[in-house]
Amino acid sequence: MKQHPILSALVNAIKISGVDKNKVCVASDIFYSPQEIEPLGFDFFQTPRGRPIPFGTGLKLGNPELKVVALTGDLSTLGGNHLVHAGRRNMELVTVCINNFVYPLEPGKESAKYMFSTYSNFERPFNIPHLGRSCGAVFVARWTALHTKELSTSVAKALNKPGFSVIEVISPGGNYFPGIDSLDEESNLIKYWYEHSEIKNGEDTMNLEIESGKEIIVGEFIERERPTFIDSYNARLSEIMGDKFVPYGGKSY
Amino acid sequence: MKANPKDVRTGVFYIDGDVAAAEGALAAGCKFLGGYPITPSTEAAEAFARRAPQVGAMFIQMEDELGSIATVMGASLSGQKAMTITSGPGFSLMMETIGFGAMLEIPFVIINIQRSGPSTGLPTRTGQADMMQARWGSHGEYEVITLSPDSPQESFDFTIKAFNLAEKYRAPVMLMSDECVGHMTEKVEIPEADKIDLEPRRLYKGPKDKYIPFKPDKDLVPPMVKAGEGYRLYLSPLSHDQRGHPLLSQKSTTRRIVDKIRLNADDIIETKEDGLDDAEVVVVSYGITSRVAYRAIEQARKSGIKVGIFRLITVWPFPDKRITELAKRVKGFVVPEINYGQIVFEVERCVHGNANVVLVPHGGGWVHNPDDILGAIKQIMKAKKRYEGIFEYKTELEKLIFGSGVQKK
Amino acid sequence: MKNVKHPMDFYLRMDRMPHIWCTGCGIGLTATAFVAAMEKAKLDTNKVCVVSGIGCTGRFAGYIKLDSFHTTHGRAIPFATGLKLANPELKVVVVSGDGDLISIGGNHFIHAARRNIDMVVICVNNFIYAMTGGQVAPTTPLTAYTTTSPYGNFEPPSNIPQIAESSGAVYVARWTALHIRRLTNSIFEALNKPGFTVVEVISPCAQYYSRINRLGDGLDMMKFYHENSQIKHWEPTDNLYIDYQKEIIVGKFVDRERPTYSESYKKWLAE
Repeated sequence: MKQHPILSALVNAIKISGVDKNKVCVASDIFYSPQEIEPLGFDFFQTPRGRPIPFGTGLKLGNPELKVVALTGDLSTLGGNHLVHAGRRNMELVTVCINNFVYPLEPGKESAKYMFSTYSNFERPFNIPHLGRSCGAVFVARWTALHTKELSTSVAKALNKPGFSVIEVISPGGNYFPGIDSLDEESNLIKYWYEHSEIKNGEDTMNLEIESGKEIIVGEFIERERPTFIDSYNARLSEIMGDKFVPYGGKSY
Repeated sequence: MKANPKDVRTGVFYIDGDVAAAEGALAAGCKFLGGYPITPSTEAAEAFARRAPQVGAMFIQMEDELGSIATVMGASLSGQKAMTITSGPGFSLMMETIGFGAMLEIPFVIINIQRSGPSTGLPTRTGQADMMQARWGSHGEYEVITLSPDSPQESFDFTIKAFNLAEKYRAPVMLMSDECVGHMTEKVEIPEADKIDLEPRRLYKGPKDKYIPFKPDKDLVPPMVKAGEGYRLYLSPLSHDQRGHPLLSQKSTTRRIVDKIRLNADDIIETKEDGLDDAEVVVVSYGITSRVAYRAIEQARKSGIKVGIFRLITVWPFPDKRITELAKRVKGFVVPEINYGQIVFEVERCVHGNANVVLVPHGGGWVHNPDDILGAIKQIMKAKKRYEGIFEYKTELEKLIFGSGVQKK
Repeated sequence: MKNVKHPMDFYLRMDRMPHIWCTGCGIGLTATAFVAAMEKAKLDTNKVCVVSGIGCTGRFAGYIKLDSFHTTHGRAIPFATGLKLANPELKVVVVSGDGDLISIGGNHFIHAARRNIDMVVICVNNFIYAMTGGQVAPTTPLTAYTTTSPYGNFEPPSNIPQIAESSGAVYVARWTALHIRRLTNSIFEALNKPGFTVVEVISPCAQYYSRINRLGDGLDMMKFYHENSQIKHWEPTDNLYIDYQKEIIVGKFVDRERPTYSESYKKWLAE
């Protein structure tokens, strides 16, 4: 299961970023066992499939001091709408989308992504960084599961950046990848993507399609500023209500 | 614990049921509403949106009901009282996540302003056809608490009650109102804040490293913590043990989720009885139908029939014991419902064949004609034998629409 | 005058007239444009299906005399996908509102665009949830008032052409209800183009959007469109955001080729 590098990257990112570990909440629709999560030190919630983003929205709006990370696999199929609207609102969430070309725990199901080599899916996959950018995300990046140092740095940046961030992690994984019969082959696959990836920071997200046989482009693509949902809310209401309004989340204007 | 005066809009108002429910939620200390517009519940969301900045609450209109209920779960776990407001089609969409909330014992309130018909149906008209869905809607085993108001005043009062029950039992609580009550404008008295009793969230107060998320207290309900306080929460909706760790066996906590409501049912059930001491016929009703039933009972009493009313405030958990007790001494039960028979099945189950059960159905859209309920009461009085099963009374409306109509048993 | 037939009668369910749309609403104009485009396209009317969702625009299916389906909220596109994939001879047209297609139906919208399923989507955008009484929609411009944004909307709106283009639609155009002839032309082009085609129609909502925001009635909104809309074909979709009472850019923005879902599937099967 190649999600482990992602969890350790997350822990590293929390360290690098300097955020209060107690305030980090991870809402995930991927299952992780308690043995994997407990040593790591943050609150973990497994949400219904496809809903880590609205669940994370609820956590954040309920307690604006929390730092919420939404971990999702294959988000675009079930939760694509939530990504589009959370991005539009610039809800303060870090969305880590783990792109593993299959649904974990449901063997054999095709997902919205290209399957590699002999089992080419005929559907065109989503270009997640492009979708994130078009929806208004303030930070968009993509790495493979083996780019652990760069991934930690990106997640750390996202944790400290107010607004909606989308980080795609290419992580073909699990024993459910058709054609993969052994762990050796699986780690070969991940090594394949790592070796065939090119780091191009700042690349135009339109060029980031994943196509079998070609190199994939990784890096940090978008970094910009936009007012967050709570900031916009506070600004608008302060304008209308003046002094009578107590800003939500405690920030003063 | 008393309500916060800043949240309560004390005074006497002329408002509709939807707005009263929103005010009730705010008075109960609800600080989060994740909603989606659906007729006939939109007035409640609009009222909440207007008041939210004044009391420090947050309203977000999500992109769909699936998102709305998921935000409610998150907000509740972050420490706020949270709710959503919806109607039939939205209620159906929320079912998966209601199951999630039941499994993880998240306290939340759903206000369902019922409307008519399966699917889009009659969006602007009343119905009571979601009662069974409220109880059994999501897959798997769990128990819920529902409250049925019959007036805007009760919409206000019961919403506060709903939040109290949700915090006390950490179970899904649904306020099953309907469009008639929701859009009815009546006098609502909102009392002073210190006259409103609130149930505080049962928070765990022990040492952090000894926290066991699903270890229950004596009443089978575990204390909660908030996210982001350093408890290292692990919550997964897989069947789990007391620590919250997935336990895919019989020993998981699922039994307790059902028991905590079933075994505490006597404390939760609330009903109103009137005239049952000498009654020969009992009208079992809930929601708006009760108001129509009162009229029928008044007329029946005038003509000498001894009728009483057994009004269900909590439809679920169902008051089995009282119905069984009454069945031993009365001639029959009349169950008027704005559906083709839902709670009447529960009544029949509890009667154990000791009395007659007559259903007064209604297709939805409007409320009953009191004459039909009166007719059903008279039907029981003149019945010479014990009917097999439920007798469906042929209402005037049915005769009008269907001619030969319903089969008599 | 009973026996005089209007050329549009062939396409309209005249027994259901008068329709429920308000005075000053742009949906009726969209219906006219659609019918005119159908006339021009000369498609086999037995094979055209119209699917609509819930809302004011959702009532569209009820007035068009083709195989028309009034479906559940947000699910017009999956319903249409089912129709098309089960019977590829059908020509499927989805006509629905901004709330139905982009909010609750947003997921279906982006996936159908990604898969390039052969259908025409006509999205009538009136910036509000009108049928339910005027609530805020994902397309409501910043600072506009609605019943659920009683202090003015503070959420940045969605830009429908941008969502369509970045998800993979092959034809994207936007017109206002005023540009009736150009709208007809766009619908005609969309009907003839294989793949996922989107035509957005900016419509006045006299009863809610313009009334709550004191913008006048339908005619005032049309005058506004006349003075403030700019035709800029091929404009990058990033620039198509609509600010409150500011310029509206209309035109044809995307017209490209991509293999449709059915074509890709056939190709994959052959391999």
